[in-house]
Amino acid sequence: MNSMIYKNKKPLLVFLIPAFAFLIVFLYYPFFQNVVNTFLKIGGLGRASQGLNTPWYENYQRLFTDPNMRTALKNTLLLTLCTIVFQVGIALILALLVDTIRVGAQFFRTVYFFPIVISATALGLMFNLIFLYKGGMVNQLLLSLGRLPSEVKPSGKVLVQWLDWKDQAHFLFTMFMPVMWQYVGFYFVILVTGLNNISPDLFEAAALDGADGWKRTRYITLPLLRNVLCTCLVLAITGALKVFDLPWVMFGAGMPENRGWLTGTYMYDQTFNRMNVDYGSTIAVLIVVLGVVLSNIANRVFRPSDDL
Amino acid sequence: MKKALALLLALVMVLGLGAVAYADGVTLNVVTSYGGDDGNRGNFEAAVKAYEASTGNKVNDGSATSNEEWKAKVLTDFETGSEPDVLFFFTNADAEPFISAGKVVSIEEIRAEYPDYATNMRDSMLAVASDGRQYAVPSYGYWENMFVNRTVLSDCGIEVPGPDYTWDQFLADCETIKDNGYTPIACSLVEVPHYWFEFLVMNNGTVANHLDVPVSVEDAAGAKWVAALEDFKALYEAGYFPANTLTASDAETVEMFNQGEAAFLIDGSWKVGYFTENAADLGDFAISYVPARGERKASEAIGGISMGYFITRKAWDDPAKREAAVEFVSQLTSDEVLSTFVTTEVTALINGAKPAGLNPLQQSAADANANITAIAGAVQDTITGEAKADLFGNIQNVVTGKLSARDAVAAAIALN
Repeated sequence: MNSMIYKNKKPLLVFLIPAFAFLIVFLYYPFFQNVVNTFLKIGGLGRASQGLNTPWYENYQRLFTDPNMRTALKNTLLLTLCTIVFQVGIALILALLVDTIRVGAQFFRTVYFFPIVISATALGLMFNLIFLYKGGMVNQLLLSLGRLPSEVKPSGKVLVQWLDWKDQAHFLFTMFMPVMWQYVGFYFVILVTGLNNISPDLFEAAALDGADGWKRTRYITLPLLRNVLCTCLVLAITGALKVFDLPWVMFGAGMPENRGWLTGTYMYDQTFNRMNVDYGSTIAVLIVVLGVVLSNIANRVFRPSDDL
Repeated sequence: MKKALALLLALVMVLGLGAVAYADGVTLNVVTSYGGDDGNRGNFEAAVKAYEASTGNKVNDGSATSNEEWKAKVLTDFETGSEPDVLFFFTNADAEPFISAGKVVSIEEIRAEYPDYATNMRDSMLAVASDGRQYAVPSYGYWENMFVNRTVLSDCGIEVPGPDYTWDQFLADCETIKDNGYTPIACSLVEVPHYWFEFLVMNNGTVANHLDVPVSVEDAAGAKWVAALEDFKALYEAGYFPANTLTASDAETVEMFNQGEAAFLIDGSWKVGYFTENAADLGDFAISYVPARGERKASEAIGGISMGYFITRKAWDDPAKREAAVEFVSQLTSDEVLSTFVTTEVTALINGAKPAGLNPLQQSAADANANITAIAGAVQDTITGEAKADLFGNIQNVVTGKLSARDAVAAAIALN
């Protein structure tokens, strides 16, 4: 009876087709329409197009000549790199550390995962206060440590030269740090789950052979964690390309001086604030292409090994 | 036990559904600019509560702070079929997209069924759309002028400027203020440069030709706009804006003024309410005059009635919501309710508003308004959202020398 269920595939279709139809209607058709939109002149969401652009590939030409787009791409690729190094790197270190302790592991899992459940908008507002120019938490700390210069004016007023954490010298740190911080816990939980799946017998055998902690990590944990790490890296890269909410709340439209664009924030600004829907669609296509290309590269570089 | 619990939950659900089905009244989706730190937020909430109590209807309030992003969101909602039932919005060119798309109902059409609708308003003061019809019931007008921090001025030995304040005096005052360790002008050039833009344009023209929109960067209006952007650059290079003006939010610079760190702030009548609620001592502030240059007098300002309540076609065509929407607008624009919103602003009410006793800042505004000799509407309200976003977005590039004022104006004209 059971074998009949597996031979007759028709019931499976009943479950597969709705999900497939859903994806066609809400993902693939909009994406196809989005590609079409890149060739049209559209002056607002929901507005009818005013015909083809002249030339029809005008938006793609603009992608290569638009200085803001270049900035957005550069920042996004840098964010992707930072994501790999810091988000996944820190998550890996934390996971390895938590895996070695016997008491309180569950506590640390909850604590590190907690930022994920807070909305990015709330986090953006919180970090805005932390990095506020006058009276922000970081600047107050620097002031109390005597790291901010000040002078007394003829009127007796003390003029403090506050540090602008959103200016050209600091904005990358101020923008990237909260993004890194928010998602470390996400990769941490995935990696801890991967670590839990490694048999303790292997560690016991290695310990009997005289392997110390570092050697156990180097020759047992990391190789066996490779597939999970690969998944984390692909998720981190595709996630970094889509980052929007937290930078938008903190930096808005390209602050400072059009140097703070990311592909996500630039696409939003063009589509919703400038009503340049066709160009916004073109940026969206670029984001998808970048996502596919970079995740493929990541898959090839960190290809999951069947030997493990 | 489990069965009993399941039965109880099922009963609660059935009763809940029944309660929804037989609930009195309807839920109105309302979007206004009375959100965030708007000075009239409290008055609006009180008026909504009174409406809900008197009608049994519910209001789903989607209000937010008015800025370019909010305007874009409202227009996008119309374009995607997600518009509210009642909208409090600008009555100028910003409203044209949804008016021309037939998404809101004209006052004439509403009066055909509800003859008393907006009859407490002067018809001559209702905004007329490009199709010649009136759609919005106005609430009250606005003025834009210069707020000054008396304490900062006093520390710097400067008198509160009068209606004869000149540009040269202003520059000299700014230098003194800066030398004393204060910021002369509280303004976020990256977020809200438009108040200064209006007055800098008027300073390079006259109140009579203020609303002229350039067709080319070569024409008279174009030259005014270019000169205005160059004035921005001069003020920026002189160090009169906050040190972080290119990264600060409007809220940050206003708070800077409120905390006695800056001397001058150009803002609108709505900001009086903000200071009333947030200032430690209202006596620290006064409403003064924006310094004048050329043919303009400092007693000439920006003002008018620019916002009103629209009823959307979606609500009008819904039999359940039609009356609720009409009643909502009628209550929110009644003489009694508008009198709670108004302190020193003009209204379109036939009988006029009757505001209660004025606080020191409101009295200062009333005194300043008494000396106003002429007003013009805001010229930014007459250009498209795309042109405006581009123009104001480029001010940071102009002041830092990355883009010439001429190129910035030309780019905005091309989008208008």
